[in-house]
Amino acid sequence: MFLQIISDIGATALISVILAVILVIAQRYLNDYGICKININKKREVSVKGGSTLLNSLSDQQIYLASACGGKGSCGACKCQVLTGGGPLLPTEKPLLTVKEQQDNFRLACQIKVKTDININIPESIFNIRKYKAQITEILDYTYDIKGITFKLLEPVKIDFKAGQYVQLETQPYGKVKQKTMRAYSISSKPEDTDSIQLIVRLVPEGICTTWVHKYLKVGDEVRFTGPYGDFFIRDTDADMIFIAGGSGKAPIKSILEHLQVVGTTRKMMYFFGARTEHDLYLTDEFKAFEKVFPDFQYVPVLSRCDDGSKWCARTGYIMPYLKDAIKDPKKTEAYMCGSPGMLDACQKELLALGVPQDKIYYDSFA
Amino acid sequence: MKQSPKEIKITARMQPGVITLSGFLGEDDRHYHEIIADDEKTLAAYGFSPEVIADRLEYFTNASFENFTGVEFIENLYQVETEVTRGKLPCPFSHAGLYRKTVTTLTNTKTGVTIRWSGLNIHLIREHHFFEGKGSTFRLEPELLIKTIF
Repeated sequence: MFLQIISDIGATALISVILAVILVIAQRYLNDYGICKININKKREVSVKGGSTLLNSLSDQQIYLASACGGKGSCGACKCQVLTGGGPLLPTEKPLLTVKEQQDNFRLACQIKVKTDININIPESIFNIRKYKAQITEILDYTYDIKGITFKLLEPVKIDFKAGQYVQLETQPYGKVKQKTMRAYSISSKPEDTDSIQLIVRLVPEGICTTWVHKYLKVGDEVRFTGPYGDFFIRDTDADMIFIAGGSGKAPIKSILEHLQVVGTTRKMMYFFGARTEHDLYLTDEFKAFEKVFPDFQYVPVLSRCDDGSKWCARTGYIMPYLKDAIKDPKKTEAYMCGSPGMLDACQKELLALGVPQDKIYYDSFA
Repeated sequence: MKQSPKEIKITARMQPGVITLSGFLGEDDRHYHEIIADDEKTLAAYGFSPEVIADRLEYFTNASFENFTGVEFIENLYQVETEVTRGKLPCPFSHAGLYRKTVTTLTNTKTGVTIRWSGLNIHLIREHHFFEGKGSTFRLEPELLIKTIF
């Protein structure tokens, strides 16, 4: 009886091992897609080992599509046009693609696997995106919840970006956080500083990356980021410019103005910075100083709560009521906005009502 | 309790550092199914459905959404403020879509009670009847919630 039980267990174990081996072998051959070719913009072709996601396959070729969620299919930042070879649209992609995007064959690169040759279209600017290793050289406390962090580039040692673009910072595991995370932050330094970048980061309640930046990072630490990304940069026209920002949204506008200081401009510019109280204002003297740098520039802080005795009580409440006087020729005005989505929504409505064309209102796409 | 692969995935997404810094379960050692069932009982005892609660929370959030820099007074009783930060969050139940990072803070001036909720809370309550685990940063106690917003 005992020997029979041992014999049965042995037979079951042997069958299990044989099945496992068959499965491993089958997986190896059935999932072996061989070498697949990715044709990009009908100009460039890369060969990759099939079976990985398009996002990772491109990343292995040092072509970095944006991805704020690390390839989990939740941010939609890695959208690209897949002309052939992407397979059917997956249920995980649909919620993040508009009907128009689906019709135009846009897909999430993190969701589709490269199993055959594939033809894709991506913006040419993506070829300028690199993965950087950098070291923190300075951390400034701008307000009680906003820090400015400067990163010296270690590898590669130079970056080429347009004022207003952003990078994706990679967090490392810390505390209860067991995995790496990517989050997007606008570059606040000017593009002429090619060997370093500055980011302005506001501490967000429950924010995985902002908590890491505020509570864990220190001078001397090494970090990794990819970039530059985004099409939030000033257009080369002679239109008047309205800048609107709040909180850490000051970052790209700072980069733009510092860049314009270097290259020079005679364009009419007005910058509204929305804040709750005087304690939420920062770099105010530096931005007021731009009024002496540019021939027609005005920096206008707007506080929603004005403390007694504050010298910044000239304009209070919302930014929207002040836009009317600032815009002389709506059709010849461009608006550049960065900040809380609530503020962006409200200001965009007002700008449209005042006659500023929709296609001349620019804001961060990751907002 | 044996969990299905889907339940294991959902529980994993509720852990700290996956979607939010502190996760969705807090110090609660109950399975999320139990948390949902217990909160549904509480709501039923008061005669409210999760959908009605979610609608009410959404009403306050929407009413204060565009007042991005200050407090909105609503129904002469509630002080409501909604802060919106950049970025969006996915649902831990892998529900389709992304949810804006909004935090609405409401004070009932009659009772003096202040509560807060996120945009994701509204979705979790409406679609999944999930008020989060006890000790979670955005846990909403159904009883306190009902007494504060109605």
